[in-house]
Amino acid sequence: MTIIDDLIPQPESTSTRQAIQRAVHSHRARRVAISRVMMVLCGVALVLTAIPLVLLIIQLVSRGASQLDATFFTKLPQSPTLSSPNDVGGVSNSIIGTIALTVYASIMAIPLGVLTGVYLAESRSKFASTLRVIAQTMAGAPSILMGLFGFTLIVKYFQVGFSAIAGSFALAVLMLPVIALSTELAVRTVPDTLREAGLALGAKPHKVSLKVVIPSAISGIVTGCLLAVARAVGETAPVLLTVGGGYINQWRPLDPVSALPLTIYSGAKSEWPAQRVQVWGIALVLVAFVFVLSLSARIWAARKQKRNS
Amino acid sequence: MTMSSPDLIIQSEELAEVNSASSSRGWYHWLLVSVSALFALVSIAFVGSIVIYSLPAWSHTGTLLTGNGWQSPSGPFGGLSMIVGTIETSLIALVVAAVVGLGTSLAIVFLVPGRLRNIISTFVELLAAIPSIVYGLWGFLVLAPWMLKSFDPFVNKLPFASAIFGSPGQQFGPSLLLAAIVLSVMILPTFIAISREVIAGVPNDIIEASYSLGCTRWQVIRQVVLPTAKIGLFGATFLSLARATGETVAVALVAGSVANAQFHLLYPGTSIAAWIATEFGEAQGNEISALMALGVLLMLINFSFSLISRSLVSRQRKALARV
Repeated sequence: MTIIDDLIPQPESTSTRQAIQRAVHSHRARRVAISRVMMVLCGVALVLTAIPLVLLIIQLVSRGASQLDATFFTKLPQSPTLSSPNDVGGVSNSIIGTIALTVYASIMAIPLGVLTGVYLAESRSKFASTLRVIAQTMAGAPSILMGLFGFTLIVKYFQVGFSAIAGSFALAVLMLPVIALSTELAVRTVPDTLREAGLALGAKPHKVSLKVVIPSAISGIVTGCLLAVARAVGETAPVLLTVGGGYINQWRPLDPVSALPLTIYSGAKSEWPAQRVQVWGIALVLVAFVFVLSLSARIWAARKQKRNS
Repeated sequence: MTMSSPDLIIQSEELAEVNSASSSRGWYHWLLVSVSALFALVSIAFVGSIVIYSLPAWSHTGTLLTGNGWQSPSGPFGGLSMIVGTIETSLIALVVAAVVGLGTSLAIVFLVPGRLRNIISTFVELLAAIPSIVYGLWGFLVLAPWMLKSFDPFVNKLPFASAIFGSPGQQFGPSLLLAAIVLSVMILPTFIAISREVIAGVPNDIIEASYSLGCTRWQVIRQVVLPTAKIGLFGATFLSLARATGETVAVALVAGSVANAQFHLLYPGTSIAAWIATEFGEAQGNEISALMALGVLLMLINFSFSLISRSLVSRQRKALARV
């Protein structure tokens, strides 16, 4: 207040001065009032955001938890009949399918992605900067396009047909840029003094990279890989166009397989109420898996960082 | 972000070159280069294969872009309702998510006390990682029945509602409006996660300087924080828009999968990505290439959004580095 009072030229007549001061103070009152209203609106926005998201989590847990029993995890799905409308069986085929898809996709994407990321971080060539733009664009591409790619290249062009390998290829294409970019970020944060110390000791550049740089960046690299896996596990669109589905336990690369997100997609539209309830269990398993994976990645990275500093 | 200074990188690479002078580059370098080349090759094949398989459909470009109605299996294949559906749903979702999300981010940074702030931020980032099929499931099995029971009759009583929402008495569970709502709930965590980071990244000294000049909290936000964070916020907006336009299964579940759209919000419709997912299972021959052509459209839309958002975010980084 005093600053404002000082800034006002002081007129001789007291009445004018009081009038100006009143004006200034009422202006301040208005500013404070506007500020209060806007901050309340921000609070309202926070509540508006929280309502649907908290409701979603609550409904997911309350409807999903009751579905999780031994049958759910170990039995094959059954088509319900009029006489036994609640016999929907389990989803063991989708669990096995999702595990197979994720493992194959990780085997394809993690080595490629990590090495590409190391290259992006350590090279200053024109090719590296072009590749970075490509990786960033690919990382944001809609996942349905990965499905179309898996379909055109693996299913049609190589004539493999609908199979686990086609689905995991689509997922690997989805994971690759994510892993490459997070690896690049992790490798870039390794202090150059470490690199220089290694080189000064006479180590070959590849020794420095493999024995010094990558080990010190490992927490960031693993975090990136875990987040990519978490994303791949829940993706529906790429597997929808490539894996073929099925109702038996299959896991070999050339077999058509089922997947958890796929079973949610088809089960939600089922006309049997028991199947529409069962999908909440699958959704809960997926969300729990994704949460555990990203939380552990986060905690591990934080702990590693604390130890380093 | 801690970036090593460019000079240091140059120095260490020069050292590296001196070190390996005898064997010029070494196997490790060539391993990295060839793996990266493989990555580039995969990316080129990604764009190329979708474009090549879509080629037959471009002989009917006019129908594909402006025709209404999708007659499988032989055509004509009109993409109008998918294009309009994509624009309608993602624009509504974006406006809702940007307004509510910006308020939420400001509330998280300026209203919520420290310890709780970290918990909320982590929770928001976790929510952003929830698979989109779960949002779709929730919209389909929880929101759709609720809208059918409570929301639609209410809206139909409003005057002039029919112009926007559809004629009175038209009641569907799945609709474009429901798709827009589910999309906005889905992209909210993404938008908040980025915009909170951008807002929290505004340097504290200029905020404190404005407080010391007698600014109220809203004046600080309005005149200092938002202008400084502006470009980054636009970046967050385009990233959310890219996510909304590319969303597939959630929209396929809640939009109703109708290709002969009336474009009113309470009627069922579809989007480009959702329609590819819905039709692909039974598609043959020409229809596959028409769906691939829709994929090319989606790719063009998405790539242009991510180009814009990336250049905006990097401009924001530079601007903040100067402050």
